[in-house]
Amino acid sequence: MAYLTQPDYIKYVCSCGQLKPITNLYFCRHCLKIRCGFCICHEVDSHYCANCLENMPSSEARLKKNRCSSCFDCPSCFHTLSTRATIAQPRQDPAAGDAKIENKQPKKMYYLSCFNCRWTSRDVGIPDQPVASGGWPERTNPFAARVNQLLDYYKAIAQQEKQEKLDRERKKFAIRGKYMNLTDKTGLTGAMARNIAGLASSESSSSAIANFVPSQASEEVEELPEDYHTQEVNLKQITSMRQRLRAAEWQPRSAARLQPAARALSVKRSQRCRACDHNLTKPEYNPGSVKFKIELLAYYHVPEVKIISYETVKPGETTALLLKLTNPTAHEMQVRLLQPQDVPEVEEREEPKSIEKSLEKSLNLEKDSSWSKVLQRRAALPTACAVRAPDAALTLAQRDDAAEYDDDPQHDTSDIIMWRKSNKLALRLQVATAAGAAPGGPARAALALQYSYRNTVPPAAAAPAPRDHTLYTTLVIHLGTVAE
Amino acid sequence: MALYEGIALIQEKQAVVLDLGTDYTKFGFTGEAAPRCIIPSEYWCTSERRFKRVYDYNNEEELYDNLVHMLHLLYFRHVLVNPKERKVVVVESLLSPTMFRETLAKVLFLHYEVSGVMWADSARLCALTLGAPVALVVSLGARDAEVVAVVHGCPVLQAIQSQPLGARAIHDELARLLDRDNGTELHLPDHVLEDIKVRACFVPGRARALQLAGGGAPAARAAPYTRAERSLSVSGAARELAAEPLFARDNEMASLPDAVLQCIALCPIDARRELAENVLVTGGTAALPGLRARLAQELRHLVTLPPYRDRLRVSKFKFHTAPAHDNAAAWVGGALCGAADGGARALARDAFARERRLADWPSLLHTTPRTHPHWDELAEAEPLG
Repeated sequence: MAYLTQPDYIKYVCSCGQLKPITNLYFCRHCLKIRCGFCICHEVDSHYCANCLENMPSSEARLKKNRCSSCFDCPSCFHTLSTRATIAQPRQDPAAGDAKIENKQPKKMYYLSCFNCRWTSRDVGIPDQPVASGGWPERTNPFAARVNQLLDYYKAIAQQEKQEKLDRERKKFAIRGKYMNLTDKTGLTGAMARNIAGLASSESSSSAIANFVPSQASEEVEELPEDYHTQEVNLKQITSMRQRLRAAEWQPRSAARLQPAARALSVKRSQRCRACDHNLTKPEYNPGSVKFKIELLAYYHVPEVKIISYETVKPGETTALLLKLTNPTAHEMQVRLLQPQDVPEVEEREEPKSIEKSLEKSLNLEKDSSWSKVLQRRAALPTACAVRAPDAALTLAQRDDAAEYDDDPQHDTSDIIMWRKSNKLALRLQVATAAGAAPGGPARAALALQYSYRNTVPPAAAAPAPRDHTLYTTLVIHLGTVAE
Repeated sequence: MALYEGIALIQEKQAVVLDLGTDYTKFGFTGEAAPRCIIPSEYWCTSERRFKRVYDYNNEEELYDNLVHMLHLLYFRHVLVNPKERKVVVVESLLSPTMFRETLAKVLFLHYEVSGVMWADSARLCALTLGAPVALVVSLGARDAEVVAVVHGCPVLQAIQSQPLGARAIHDELARLLDRDNGTELHLPDHVLEDIKVRACFVPGRARALQLAGGGAPAARAAPYTRAERSLSVSGAARELAAEPLFARDNEMASLPDAVLQCIALCPIDARRELAENVLVTGGTAALPGLRARLAQELRHLVTLPPYRDRLRVSKFKFHTAPAHDNAAAWVGGALCGAADGGARALARDAFARERRLADWPSLLHTTPRTHPHWDELAEAEPLG
């Protein structure tokens, strides 16, 4: 686990050049590359309400404007509102007398209340409801009617433009045949014929245009009352910007006009590698579950490096650094420490073209890969400090959950291996700092790892892909600040 | 599943409208009367551990990252749709920098793989919400006040006026007044100043402003403002005078009413009267109580004074009300525009992939015929990539 609240001491270089802690990275098993949130494709998977954990199909969510139908947020402090019940005594009606004696049972009435700021739906005069969920009055946008008028008008204009364009085209290519048809002979046009027959005009759009009234400007502008500046002001009665923007459709200025806001839904996202279109993560459908169906996190595939301790970095000196390497995979791993500049450049292998591929290309279905050029960043690797990497292949045992309970660390008699315990390995390394490193500046060192990786993806039927790969990753280690 | 995909291919997905303002971003679907969300244009930057504003950038790469994060927030936290294969209407200012537009285009087309982007300027979209053929759009944003005349669907480019008289100017003045009244430097953060402005400030009428300037008027009532760490009293002067910089005249004639009149004066002579009778004041700052009324009074007064009296023969000023809240008028225009033409005017993704260039008014390239020798010169100068 990297660190929840602390800064990230070890950052990995993603294949797109971003520096991220290992917990924020993914590992595509098909491209065998590290991916991060920046260079993958996110997709909305399912909608759910985070309060009542109720799933909502996306079509329904669209209909309800991504709002939950049973949960409400406080319009004042944005906390979730709770439904409270009260017993309401039916009002004694003196005129009715004893006639409705059986109706006198106390009735349960419900209102919404915020446990955080004590706002209630009674504060703004919303009547209590006889049912616990739903039935709350809905407000409509005051501008909706006018916007719909405008929309009809502009749609009619767009339609008319399209029609005119079509007519022009038709006229251009109208073939004057040898034979006269009926309309030519009689001089009737289609529209006239329809008119005579009493059918609705084909240009139904024109009514929307004819009936449209443009906005009327007025000379009067709403002025503040003459004594506005002497009026008492209570800022608590005026909403803040956040409260207004929460209700983007109404934007009430007075706190008395606030309304409970239906809670916005959340989504589960699935993530996809852009290069090969395989899923990297896919959540379970159930909103209560935090598990994934597919979960290709770098944390499960890439050796994790942690700092055990380090000596303060001083300019021009060599200091000690203790690192711990962990193999998260279920296969033995060969690790070699390298300098970042020794990592071979990944050459883009041209895949042998199959018939399908070339067909795709001819159909222009092939993935547009121009995004990769825009995304690609060159990570700025620190050069002031360098980790002295011993040229030795280290073997990391596979992860074995049972081995966690063994307590005697197996000591290797090596000058760099401090101890070894199941799939973990502690290394004693040296950090050489350049004499010119600025004191007080951040001390960062780059280190590259070469590791063997066994691909467990069942290979495609036709071509048995090699199962063992040698992969590289580069990481940046933060070693505090350079001492004076 | 195959059936659904077939339907999706036939039916155009509802496009989204994006209005990336300096302070607030408006985002929602076309054809709707209000944006789905209006949120501050900032995101939580994990590497710097602070909220980062989209417009805080030093180079193109940083802006690209900012936009990617902001759009991720909008698409996956607020509007909850897949950006892929969905059209976008971008509401932008006529004066938005080329680098910003091009980076936004790259983010939308290459990073989020949207199927088309329609670029529309906010002035025309504001005019669209009125349905009136001629409109003078006075848009008071976070940074600038822009005055654009829209005559029959065309913004009059030579008459565009822009002055740094937006919300920032009011915040600065408010901070100065509060410091003066409290006798210390308060160093109030921007969001507190905004809150004070929104809840306490108003714009007095012209008559009262003159009285105040003459020093012969009783001050307005002070308002107590409570904060978690410290309460302060917002004096009457601070409440009333915070928006005065918008109307302060000097020899440069750079106040807001001056900008409006200069814009009218630069327009074709036969449109001037129409423009003066179709003024639309919009933008978030226009929601300040009393601002419209004051602007109307100032305009009616200024037009009788020398430089304008002779050049403009305008007697009446009439004002429109847009069918939207002030901060979302341009967005509503975008929603109307996007829904009406169904994306026919959008720049398609494959067109952008073929040629990475956006049509923009300062560049005449998109109206230059292909046979013109200028194209060859351009190709030699910089290979398009």
